[in-house]
This record gives sequence, structure tokens and C-alpha cells, in this order.
Amino acid sequence: MKKTAEILDDPVIQIENLVKEYKSSDGTIIRAVNNVSMSVAPGEIVGLLGANGAGKTTTLRIIATLLQPTSGHAQVCNHDSITDPVGVRQSLGYVSATTGVPDRLTARELLTSFGRLHGLEEDAIKDRLDWLITTLSLRDYIDRPAGRLSSGQRQRISLGRALVHNPPALVLDEPTNALDVVGSRDLLDTLDRLRESGHAILLSTHRLHEIEHRCDRFVIIDKGHIVAAGTRHALVGDSGELEDAFFHAIEQGAPT
Amino acid sequence: MKDSPQIADAHDLPQSRPPQGNWFAAIRAVTGFQLNRLMTRPRLAMGLVGALFPAAVMFAVIRTAPINRDMTVAMIYVLIPEALCVLGLLVTMCPVVADELERGTWIHVTVRPGGRQSLLLGTFAAAVIWTGGVSLVALMLTLLISQPTQPIGLVVMFTVLIGISCVGRAALFALPAVILPKRALIASVGVALVVEYFAGLLPAVVNQVTVSLRLRSLLVEWMEWRNDLPIEMTLFVDDYSAPVQILAVCILVFILLTTAGFILNRRQFPPSVEN
Repeated sequence: MKKTAEILDDPVIQIENLVKEYKSSDGTIIRAVNNVSMSVAPGEIVGLLGANGAGKTTTLRIIATLLQPTSGHAQVCNHDSITDPVGVRQSLGYVSATTGVPDRLTARELLTSFGRLHGLEEDAIKDRLDWLITTLSLRDYIDRPAGRLSSGQRQRISLGRALVHNPPALVLDEPTNALDVVGSRDLLDTLDRLRESGHAILLSTHRLHEIEHRCDRFVIIDKGHIVAAGTRHALVGDSGELEDAFFHAIEQGAPT
Repeated sequence: MKDSPQIADAHDLPQSRPPQGNWFAAIRAVTGFQLNRLMTRPRLAMGLVGALFPAAVMFAVIRTAPINRDMTVAMIYVLIPEALCVLGLLVTMCPVVADELERGTWIHVTVRPGGRQSLLLGTFAAAVIWTGGVSLVALMLTLLISQPTQPIGLVVMFTVLIGISCVGRAALFALPAVILPKRALIASVGVALVVEYFAGLLPAVVNQVTVSLRLRSLLVEWMEWRNDLPIEMTLFVDDYSAPVQILAVCILVFILLTTAGFILNRRQFPPSVEN
């Protein structure tokens, strides 16, 4: 089982030797992400797997320019998260576990606001709204206040907000956490379609069964280290479950 | 599958690189977004109470005893540019920024180009528009109740004072909101009391960086009260002309907002922040 993730020739998302350290309240240094390297190509979904506290969210937040790495690089469409954060933000859509969709606003109002936030012209916003309504199936509730929508519908609006500026890269941090089985499946079906459209998608989750057959490649992370990486076939062989491979990789631990 | 979306073809996707962020449009978007969020019944009710409060106080006073024009002006000054504007901004500026920082919405704004500055400046603009609007309604009602002579001149003067008060204090409250988002309201009340009402009344260099000194000085200048002030009261106003006072507030606002923007730009969002 490989303990390094494949680095592609022409990736949309690329991270190299990423390290993130936090100082705890007692002064000790905690290394949340330890020398992580990986990449995501156009038209590919990569699953970032790990238990709670493994370093998934920290890694994704460094890519999304919400956190600065202690060392190493994160790039999106060749824009570096430190030297060109604006370029990264223009090229990236970010979805977190908490949707952050205000109850009073309708999906149309929210998406229009975020389109304007990106400086899109009104005509361009209208075109993007039409595309999002079709692609994410928002038509039935586009003008309904978000407070009256289900978790799945709100998460789909959150995905729409991430896509409003048509980014080539998407980073999703446990997007199915608050969803029931129907909502999860709906969202993952949508990600399948976005992959077909050429988006590069990096998705973190600890719900392995949901994404086992959705992702092109997996990166398993534990205590900040990559402990296994590869396609499903490379990880589990001809038979077996991803969950077994996951636990096996974690038991084997990080390379010394 | 139920509610299955139609598949949008890949060629439907606009292929061009996303446009460069237009700052003005982004700030306007956040302003509209925040004003929309302020249009709830509780907030509108709060705004109505705020607008009625100075008029009610004025009504109670003039029912007790008639007051002259100068006393009316002094009361309006204390009730609206000083009290109502500060209270309105405490409600609309710091908790809104802090709310955005501490809750899920903020994170989705900060991953946009110029998102952090847009959120700060858009919220600042929304707070000024909202508080300024409420204060102007309060001014009109209070003038209607008090019926002073030459009301047009007072409307113009107080409109400028309200504008300066809102812009200056909103910028002042932006700082505690970004430095101490978890305690933004308490910190802003502290700033209002310590900086504006304590330091502002100290006859020392420190009062030069307060909005209240500039407002008092403008009021005294425009009402031509300077020569009538008791000598000890002249310590609490500045001698410079009105344009200098306004310029001083503009410089203060620029410094405060630049500092708040700088802090926001450096702010990181570890996973614990969102939860």
C-alpha cells in the first residue's frame, strides 16, 4: 500500500510537503498536518479520508486560504495560497460541513449576492443562476427562504454558492455530515456530474461507505500523516472493503 | 431518483477564467446582504423604538417646561448624534461583524477574492446607512415635537453631525469586532465608554483621537457658542475650524478601518472557529 499520494503532471489542486503546527494552551507544538503532498486533476474526485482530528479540515482550509501553512505549499490552478491568495480564491469553490445559509434569504438572493461579491456582471449572474438551477435542481425552492428548507436542500444551495463563479476546483469538507441518506446521495450524484463537467474535486469525509465507489482516488490521513493513497483497487484489491483498508492503513501508521 | 437534477452539459459551463473581483460591486453586495439581514421584525421594531425615543424625551421635557432654542439643540445633540447613533451602531456594527466571524457565513465570504475587506466595509456601510436612517427619522420627529425656530438650518447641521457620528463610531467599533469577536459587544461598549465618553472629555492629547471631541467642536462652531462658553467648558472643545474637524474624523476613520482590515487579512480560521 502506497504511503504517498500520486503527484500528477497537470493538477488543478496541488499540495507539497504541507505542514501546519498549532501552539496549544500549555505551549506545546501540535503538528496537525505533517508533510502532506497530493494533487487533484481536472475531472477527478479525490477522497480525503480520516477520523475526526486527523488533519483533513486543516489541510482543506490551507488550500482554501483560510489558514496559512507552517511550511510547504498549496496551489490551485498554479496560484499559490500564500503568494497569490486572490488567484486561489478565484479558482476555488469551498463547501464546509456547516452550510452558513442565512434563514431569511432565498437561494436566489444568496447566490446573487455571492455572484456580486465575485464582481460578476448582472447578466453573467443570471446565466450562472440558470446553470446552477438546472445542474443542482434548485428550481422548486429557489425563491423560498432557506429557513424553510431541509438540510439537503441547504447543502445544495451551499454547493451552488461555491460554484457561482464557475471555479475549476472544488473543495468540500465533510459535505454530507448533516444529511440523511437521500440528501447525501443527491449531493454525491451532483458531484459526479460536476466531475463529468471537468471540475477537480477534493472531498473529505469519514463516511467511507458513501464515497467508496464515487472517488477516483483516495488519500487516507491519520494524525496529520498520509498513511495510504491510491485508487480503490490499489487499496483493497479485487475484493474487500474500503473500510478494512482504512483501518489497516491506520494500524500500520505513518512512515517513520 | 426523486428530484433528480437535469444534467448540464460540460459545454454549458462558461470556460473563461472567473473575472477579477470588482471591489465596489463586492462591497455593495455585502451592504445589500447585511441590510437585508437587518430587515427583520425585531430589528425594525428596535429601529422604530430608537427613532421614537428622542422625540418622546423631548415631548416629556417641553410638557414640563418650555425650553429655548439653544437648550433644544443641546438636547437633540445629546439624544441623537451622541446617544442614538452610538446605541444603533453598537447593535448593527460589532455584533454583525462578530456574528459573521463566529458563525458559518463568514467562512464562505472569506474564501472569495477581497471577501474579508468586502465584509468589513460592506457591514460598515450597512451599519452607517441603518443607524443614519434611524437617526434622521428621529431628528425629524424631534424637530416636529420641539418646533424650534430656523429648523432648516438645524436639519442640515444635525444631518452632518449624524453622518460624522455614524461613520466615525462605526469605524471605531470595527476594531473590537475584529480583535475580540467573541466579546465584540462588551468590548465595543467598553470602547464607547472609555474612549468616547471618558477619554473624549479629558482635556488632554488623548481626546484628539475621539469622535466626540470633533462633534462637540463642530456643534459649538456652527451654533456660534464659542464666545458664550464658560472658560472651563472651552477645555472640552477644539479650536480648529469645521473643515479641520471633519478632516480629522476622515483620517481617524481611514486609520481605524485600515487597521481592522489588516487584522482581518491576517486572521486565520482553524477548524475550531467554525464549530
